[in-house]
Amino acid sequence: MYQTLLTTRYLTSRVIPLIAVAAVALCVALVIVVVSVMTGFLNMVQSSGKTLMGDVIVSYGISGIPHYDTLIQYLEQDTDIFAATPIVEGWGLLQMPYPDSESKQSETVQVWGIDPLSFAKVTSFDESLQWKKPTENQKSWLLIDAITENQDFLRDQLPEEDWSHLALLVNTASREMNYKETRIWQEVQEFLPSMLWNHLLSFDERLSTPERLLHQGLTLSTNGVDGIVSGLHVSEGNERQKDGTYQVIRNDYWWLPRYKGTLTMLPVDNQGGVIEPESVIMPFVNEFQSGVFMIDESRVFVPIQITQKLLHLDEAEVINIDDPSEVLGKDPARATSILVRGMPNVDADDLREKVKHLYSGFLDNIPDKTIVFPPLDNDPGLTINTWEEQQRRFTGPVEKERELMRTLFSIVYLVVAALILSIFWSIVFEKTRDIGILRSIGASRASIVWIFLQYSLVIGIAGSALGLCLGWFITKKINTIHEIMGNPPIGFAFGSLALAAIMALMTIAKARKGFVLPIVLGSLGFLTFGGIGALVLFVRHIGGLVIWDASVYYFSIIPNEVDWPSSIATVGGAILFCLLGAVIPAAKAADTDPVKALRHE
Amino acid sequence: MNNRFLLEGNNLKKTYLLGRTEVPVLHGASLGVEEGQWVTILGSSGSGKSTMLHLLGGLDKPNLDGGEVLFRGKSVWKQSNRKINQYRNNDIGFVFQFYHLLPELTVLENTVLPTMLNMRSSGARERATALLEKFNLGHRLNHRPRELSGGERQRAAIARALVNEPSVLLADEPTGNLDEETGKEILDVLSNLHDNGLTVILVTHNKEIAGRGNKIVHLRHGAIQHTATLAQST
Repeated sequence: MYQTLLTTRYLTSRVIPLIAVAAVALCVALVIVVVSVMTGFLNMVQSSGKTLMGDVIVSYGISGIPHYDTLIQYLEQDTDIFAATPIVEGWGLLQMPYPDSESKQSETVQVWGIDPLSFAKVTSFDESLQWKKPTENQKSWLLIDAITENQDFLRDQLPEEDWSHLALLVNTASREMNYKETRIWQEVQEFLPSMLWNHLLSFDERLSTPERLLHQGLTLSTNGVDGIVSGLHVSEGNERQKDGTYQVIRNDYWWLPRYKGTLTMLPVDNQGGVIEPESVIMPFVNEFQSGVFMIDESRVFVPIQITQKLLHLDEAEVINIDDPSEVLGKDPARATSILVRGMPNVDADDLREKVKHLYSGFLDNIPDKTIVFPPLDNDPGLTINTWEEQQRRFTGPVEKERELMRTLFSIVYLVVAALILSIFWSIVFEKTRDIGILRSIGASRASIVWIFLQYSLVIGIAGSALGLCLGWFITKKINTIHEIMGNPPIGFAFGSLALAAIMALMTIAKARKGFVLPIVLGSLGFLTFGGIGALVLFVRHIGGLVIWDASVYYFSIIPNEVDWPSSIATVGGAILFCLLGAVIPAAKAADTDPVKALRHE
Repeated sequence: MNNRFLLEGNNLKKTYLLGRTEVPVLHGASLGVEEGQWVTILGSSGSGKSTMLHLLGGLDKPNLDGGEVLFRGKSVWKQSNRKINQYRNNDIGFVFQFYHLLPELTVLENTVLPTMLNMRSSGARERATALLEKFNLGHRLNHRPRELSGGERQRAAIARALVNEPSVLLADEPTGNLDEETGKEILDVLSNLHDNGLTVILVTHNKEIAGRGNKIVHLRHGAIQHTATLAQST
């Protein structure tokens, strides 16, 4: 009881406990942020692998697996398997619509030919699509595009004067829209006769029904034409905002679903030699964001039949080489991989064994008349892996790295203990006379120990609670903080420099009185704020800092989920180490000879 | 052993270690204090008078063969630690030269503190307030010790020593840090308490102060030189 009174007074009447609380809080926050980011990173690697690839992957290089549709049917009959989908994978060159020049930019892309409907059942393809409905600006651009595409028709339908007016409207609007929003939609709708307006709306189904945008992405087609869904970072038009959302530069001018792209792929023969390159021009129908930077910057999805055709993996006739007129049979279309998703609660490793077993069964059930056989189950080129095994080269090192970080940062606990030890050592020294007084009025040794343990417990609990809040806040806002650190606002620099100037003036004013502490504090404040201001200016001068480089860490955002189990363990550890740090000085205090303690100066 | 004494020190010996050197402070000093007596232990610096007081108050332990302290006929140092703590808390009240108030607590809290140690807290605040008011500190209850004058601090320390209604008040140079007038004021407070029946053992080097008690014990080089009984306390 009296210990509580004393602890409260000791805590509130000195600066040392506040410093200790701050130090514990910083240590705890540091561990929480580091472990949370590492765990989040690992989870992201793992879950992205799972959501992008399904549970089990059957692959057979560039030759592909024939009769894959039979294999899929066979697999889907099993009750453990939810769905399976074929992939035809290869590298290609994609010509982008930008810049506004004859010479366009090309990107190397990893092309996945997919069957969109079954692909969405196996992966989270539908959730990853970026554009659900066009924004007002995007709708305006689509309208401008529709007018441009239909200009001959409109010129015929409209009186000369009206056409000129419409053309002027469109020109002005597209020029202005590069900088600000305009009301072209409303203006054109009011100006055009309803018949022509409806004609324009029906020209692009996204104009009349905005929801078609998402649907087009899901089906990889627009108005019955095959389309491309590309990764969000493939296009240079997409710019990440501070809040983590994306915006298309020049007010949606470079919004990819307005344009077409040319996809070129190289089919390869059995010997690995390149046959004639094949190209196809296709509209972009949507973009996707998986969160894995490496995928988002290079992958595009197209319908599977496109890649089969471009890579010569589509159905072909097998002819007799000696007599080309004799058709021996059919070489069926092929898929380079089959992605399999298990039912919920089916373990990936069990599923892999199941798929292996089913594959053998599938081989036994190939019809007799077939002349082209799928790879045998003992073919070394055939791999059947879980998503984890497929991702092992990523997840393995990350897991090791996290454990290393955990071990390294456990040292922080020792820092906390050493800190508390030194603080309490000095507190006990300072309070020696109080201990003597308490002993002289009958306080027991145990109760003296308890004063200091209670004191450290309060510091530990307050510090780690504060650290938990701080760690939670930093982890949640880590992307914003990263953004601000990378590109600090100029106001920050001016603010800091202004504070530095105020500090300097105050220090000069105080210096006249001759006291040293205000001068030291003022100078430190001046140096700190001046330094921050100068640093901000320097960072801005060199064009900003990128600490989390998406191309290095795979993900475009820093994981910001708090790892609660580790955080709670960290808080518990910090409190425990605070107690450990205080227990020796507390015992020393209890054993102090009261007579000597009373003489302590 | 003589049961007419309230507090008794028999053949007290105490040696301190100064580095590796043994420094004998008391060698075989005996003293008996009757209930209601005022005993003054007089001696120069280093004579062992404070040590004597500490031994009697259960704050310091005599050497292994260094005699014993008896309180109401019972050996203090043969009891358990808990009992010794209780002895210091309940039966003895200490007043020191340098007041020894806890700087973080208010005057009232300092005074109440001993009652919080023995859970005798019911009515403790009232008792402490009454004591402080009696010592003219009613207007200082919520002040910190540093805001008080020396005399006020010593009066607060006396109030703390008395709050558990001890049988003996042990005062170690209670006026040593005060000017003459304030010192006299403090002595008047003690005299008053003594007149009301409190047993007082006072340690001083000041011969003038010694005149106030019933009995003067002269201590020199750790031994009792002579004891004088005064006819009447003033």
